[in-house]
Amino acid sequence: MADSLVYVYAVTDATQELPAVTGVDDTSVRQVVSGGLAAVVSSVDPTRFSEEALRRSLEDLQWLESTARAHHGVVAAVAQSGPVAPVRLATVYLDDDNVRALLDDNGPAFAAALDRIRGRTEWGVKIFAAPTPGGAESPAVDDTRPGTSYLLRRRAERDRAARGLQDAVAAAEAAHGDLAAVAVASRRYAPQDPRLSGHREEMVLNAAYLVDEAGAAALHRLIEDRDEPTLRLELTGPWAPYSFATLEEQ
Amino acid sequence: MTDLPSKIQLDPEAIGRDLGRLVLTIVELVRQLMERQAIRRVESGDLPDETVERLGLGLMRLEEAMTELREHFGLRAEDLNIDLGPLGDLLPRSTFRD
Repeated sequence: MADSLVYVYAVTDATQELPAVTGVDDTSVRQVVSGGLAAVVSSVDPTRFSEEALRRSLEDLQWLESTARAHHGVVAAVAQSGPVAPVRLATVYLDDDNVRALLDDNGPAFAAALDRIRGRTEWGVKIFAAPTPGGAESPAVDDTRPGTSYLLRRRAERDRAARGLQDAVAAAEAAHGDLAAVAVASRRYAPQDPRLSGHREEMVLNAAYLVDEAGAAALHRLIEDRDEPTLRLELTGPWAPYSFATLEEQ
Repeated sequence: MTDLPSKIQLDPEAIGRDLGRLVLTIVELVRQLMERQAIRRVESGDLPDETVERLGLGLMRLEEAMTELREHFGLRAEDLNIDLGPLGDLLPRSTFRD
């Protein structure tokens, strides 16, 4: 087995400066250059980053968290000084020659990806359906027939919940249309489970937008100005453009 | 292969709570199904008023009893659910109330 394997974080322009940042597993970060492109990599321990070791480790949440944080830390640091095409977490090559081959084989695709995100940032928008206010349209309570009143009340609640969610989904669609209009590109993801998002409300939109500087300002204005009681909007960013420049884009 | 935990901790209190939670979840599922069915039948209008009242009272008492039992086990409404993976949740989330 080789002394070390090569862990790849991202692809950048060859001219881009490398920031001082620590990589996964406390390794140092360096560049592998070929043509106009550079891969940002670390040499890693083969006993921990071989295919088999990774398969085991990826199920270890603690390992996954520290590795993902380190991976993101490197990508975010590199993104400070220029366009960066992040590579999927735990992408490992045998040696530098293989990384150079990756750059050469996909040169035009990487160059196009870097051009697409040059001077642009990614912002994430999550929209939640705000809890529907109850009580307002509850049917009158008939004290002489509590059982009937109970059923009618439950029916009203059921209808209101269904209507509330429908309205929220429609409003979120409209918001997405407005946001996508000021963005260079947009991408939608499946709404997250409440346990993952940490919110009890139903997520009705989970999207990412690639914007230039003017677009970012417009995006902020849209989010701030949108005043809809049925929705709660959450804006995060700026992110390195994970959603628009990954290897899978090609 | 993932290693199995070398020791399984048997905490009697936790087992009691988990078992209570499982039983209550099943009962809550049946209760919700009955309630939805009752509402549909009321909507179709083919039940005499007396029957509607009796149904409603029964369901209302059942809900009160469920709330009491839940509090006894220290569970929240949203704890009474089972994640069925790709099938989603056993109970629809929108039916939960605080």
